[in-house]
Amino acid sequence: MTTAEETPVDDEIISTLSDYLDGALAADRRADVEHKLATDSEWKRAHTELRETRDALSGLQKARAPDSFTQDVTATIHKRSAGRFFARRTFGDRVPFSALLVVAVLALVVIGYVMWSSQTGSLKVDPRARPAPTGSAVAPKP
Amino acid sequence: MSELERTLLRRLRDRDERAFRELVEAHRDRVFNITYRMLGNRAEAEDVAQEVFIAVFKTIDTFREESKFSTWLYRVTVNHCKNRIKYLARRHDRDRDELDEMSPGANAATNGAPARAPQPDRALEGAQMEQLLQDAIANLDDDHRVVVVLRDVEDLSIEEICEITGLPDGTVKSRLHRARLALRKKLQRHVEEPRPARTPKGAPTGSERSKEDR
Repeated sequence: MTTAEETPVDDEIISTLSDYLDGALAADRRADVEHKLATDSEWKRAHTELRETRDALSGLQKARAPDSFTQDVTATIHKRSAGRFFARRTFGDRVPFSALLVVAVLALVVIGYVMWSSQTGSLKVDPRARPAPTGSAVAPKP
Repeated sequence: MSELERTLLRRLRDRDERAFRELVEAHRDRVFNITYRMLGNRAEAEDVAQEVFIAVFKTIDTFREESKFSTWLYRVTVNHCKNRIKYLARRHDRDRDELDEMSPGANAATNGAPARAPQPDRALEGAQMEQLLQDAIANLDDDHRVVVVLRDVEDLSIEEICEITGLPDGTVKSRLHRARLALRKKLQRHVEEPRPARTPKGAPTGSERSKEDR
């Protein structure tokens, strides 16, 4: 890493050099930067430092997941879902919540309708509402 | 998206355990590397990486195949990392408050990080440089950390980072510039002058804390 005792480099220079290192500059702008790098010590120093920083970052060791990682994740899923996610069940892999919701709503509508149309205001049948058979109600015999 | 990947996704949607294992095997190291570089701690990184794959498995039906699967996976990874960073920061603040209440002035050097001896050798290489960089990355705020990890550590393109973060091109670039600038300054400072002890971001140094306690 370059040691620097000089004055801090302008942020604008860093921004341009950052684009330059990423290959994000247009050809004319790139040529301009290359000229600056060849002639301006401040630009050259900033470029070196920035490139070193970037190289150091890309050179960082790739951290590897532990060997048991896949087994651990799978086991966690099994544990949390009690086998529901992976194993095939009688009614499929997952609980059909949407279908259950539709059935529940339909059931509520039917119950609501029955209650609304009921004379008792409940699901019970009013025994008084049932007409008792009377003499007049009996059809006269011919 | 390749036909192979499509088939794998279809099997995943059918809750095929073997497909899930294949998916984890294919992406585990990259996801783990991102979580490790974002969080700076192996145990936390492993935990978050596991949560990422569990979340992917649970929400695979919401993946619309409009982007690459890896882009979607990294988006989930980044979001999980950011949430964990916020959670850890809150926990750190709470722990520090509790410590302050328990023993004011006595915990100047116990802010969750071990004190580090001065480095007599200024040529920072290998493991030292690795640790130094990891510390420098950890000191960036999470928005800057994300872009620098994805770009400079994972070598993803700016376009991919835009897709992953949902940020416009200009914002990603400017955050990347600022992150590199901050890293450069931090590394430069380390090279120029050894620090007597390490304190986490925003935490007062021992002398500052002593003054505050008075």
